[in-house]
Amino acid sequence: MDELMEKILKLQSDYFKRRQLLFILDLISIFAIFYAIFLIFQVEYFLEHSSLFFSIPINLIRIIPTILAFIISIIGALLLHKNDHKIKFNILVENKYPELKEKLRTAYDNISESNVIVESLKSLVLSGLTIVSASSLLSTSVIITKIILVIIFISGATIISLNPDIRIPPDTIANNFKNLTGIGNEETNITVGDITGRPENSEAIGSNGSGDIFGKPKIASIEGKNIDLTLYSGVDTGFDVRDTSQTSNQFIKSAAFPVDIVGSNVSDGGYSMLMKKTETEKMLINKYAVERSKI
Amino acid sequence: MSNETYASSTRIFKELLDEIGKVVVGQHEAVEHMMIAILCNSHALVESNPGLAKTLTISTISKALDLKFNRIQCTPDLMPSDITGTYIIEDIGGKKQYRFEPGPVFANIVLADEINRASPKTQSALLEAMQEKQVTVGNKTYMLDKPFFILATQNPIEMEGTYPLPEAQLDRFLLKILMDYPTFEDENEIVNRYTKNIVPSVKSVVSKTEVLELQKLTRDVPIAEDIKVRAIRIVGATRGKSEHIEYGASPRASIGIILAAKARALMKGRNYVSKEDIDVMAYPVLRHRIILTFESERKGMTTDQVISDILKNVK
Repeated sequence: MDELMEKILKLQSDYFKRRQLLFILDLISIFAIFYAIFLIFQVEYFLEHSSLFFSIPINLIRIIPTILAFIISIIGALLLHKNDHKIKFNILVENKYPELKEKLRTAYDNISESNVIVESLKSLVLSGLTIVSASSLLSTSVIITKIILVIIFISGATIISLNPDIRIPPDTIANNFKNLTGIGNEETNITVGDITGRPENSEAIGSNGSGDIFGKPKIASIEGKNIDLTLYSGVDTGFDVRDTSQTSNQFIKSAAFPVDIVGSNVSDGGYSMLMKKTETEKMLINKYAVERSKI
Repeated sequence: MSNETYASSTRIFKELLDEIGKVVVGQHEAVEHMMIAILCNSHALVESNPGLAKTLTISTISKALDLKFNRIQCTPDLMPSDITGTYIIEDIGGKKQYRFEPGPVFANIVLADEINRASPKTQSALLEAMQEKQVTVGNKTYMLDKPFFILATQNPIEMEGTYPLPEAQLDRFLLKILMDYPTFEDENEIVNRYTKNIVPSVKSVVSKTEVLELQKLTRDVPIAEDIKVRAIRIVGATRGKSEHIEYGASPRASIGIILAAKARALMKGRNYVSKEDIDVMAYPVLRHRIILTFESERKGMTTDQVISDILKNVK
């Protein structure tokens, strides 16, 4: 093989090995970050309580965050390195070493040619390539920085996995969700069940219930809306679903159409004529009507 | 021999341009392009107003290259035999016989002055010699000497009574070189040189063999694939839908650009073709191969402006 070709291929191979190392480091970094996030937010708890995961065994749910983090890390790393295969090595070297501009690619493209000019170009490029190294194309400091970051992220993820106190309780997340979205302002107290679509106490189903499928549910779903049925001791002000104060349901008598038997089923003209009768006549007519109705 | 010529090519071109510069003031680009046309073993068409040293430049180049130079002043009554040569009857030892008398086309460098004044018949005879590098008179074919280079000139003014070259014949010229008026400084130098008793002269600095070697070396200059692709795309862009171009350039233009770029690279002492070579040579190679639309010509657009737009858009 041509000496120049050998040199170019060796440099190219070294460079792409470094890029592969970068890919792996990015993959590990992204995995560690997302695994830590999933641990902090206790994603497995949400998955366990989500109606989407009814059929998934508990044991499998425990490893889903790891699988999810791994999938995200692969996608993330692939996105970060999506243009790696498009890198034209010769152009990269030429951009880094302007003295080789247009010469390297010309020599490479005419590697099989042999005449006095091509040979002079090849020897010129070969001598120019002596100062080129893979480390100059992809800095070692970049790789070291990424290795340090990987160590930091993995350490962080390990600390979080070993120390459950760092994790955020699901109820806190639910309350923060309420504050952020504002959905909970009209409702009493959003719980995990509000987010996942499953009653919070579903774990206790059948344990001490009253015989129905959910025991004694605190939440009822009416017309697609979850309502807390728990009766509280009247704290807080204003009306909401947990307000225990009595609501007046009295009817107000209509002035235009008083509720009486006489007034029913007669035209407006007939009604005004009846109103002109004396009280005795009205009593008699009323009695007559009552008797007629019994027939 | 090639190795030696290549090793000394930078010196040869420097000496050559210095020698020509003793006689021709300024016009560096025109001189360079004429040299490129010679290195490509092709021909050039020069367009300029009268008195801009077209004849002086080409005759100076021929002297510096140690090549035989002939000039043909084209007129409407010029006959093909006036160019190619003819048979004459000769009396040798009391015996009359035909002898071929070569015309002015039998030279290394031929200046066809005001080619558009010659009749189409005569133009065709000349252009056949350009293409085939041979002349057929009667039943006999005569090969022209190598190198063979024709520099035809056209006057952009006084178009009355001329026979403009058809597009197919224009395509045979590798380059169309434009010569402009000199700058004030150059004109001042011209006046100083040519108003004295001693007229500047040139000496031969390159042999005919070296010219042929340089022509061979020109084709050996390597070119990168992406630069070659750019040249082809430039030519292709002249054929695309454009509001300015009626007809685009032929594949001969692609060959022309790459070959001219190689010659330019060799002249500049480079052992590879650069993108700049392609861009610079696109103008003289394409300007006579593109026909602008009537609307563009009416607006006063030039082919160089259109080429400039193409170069900006082609990646």
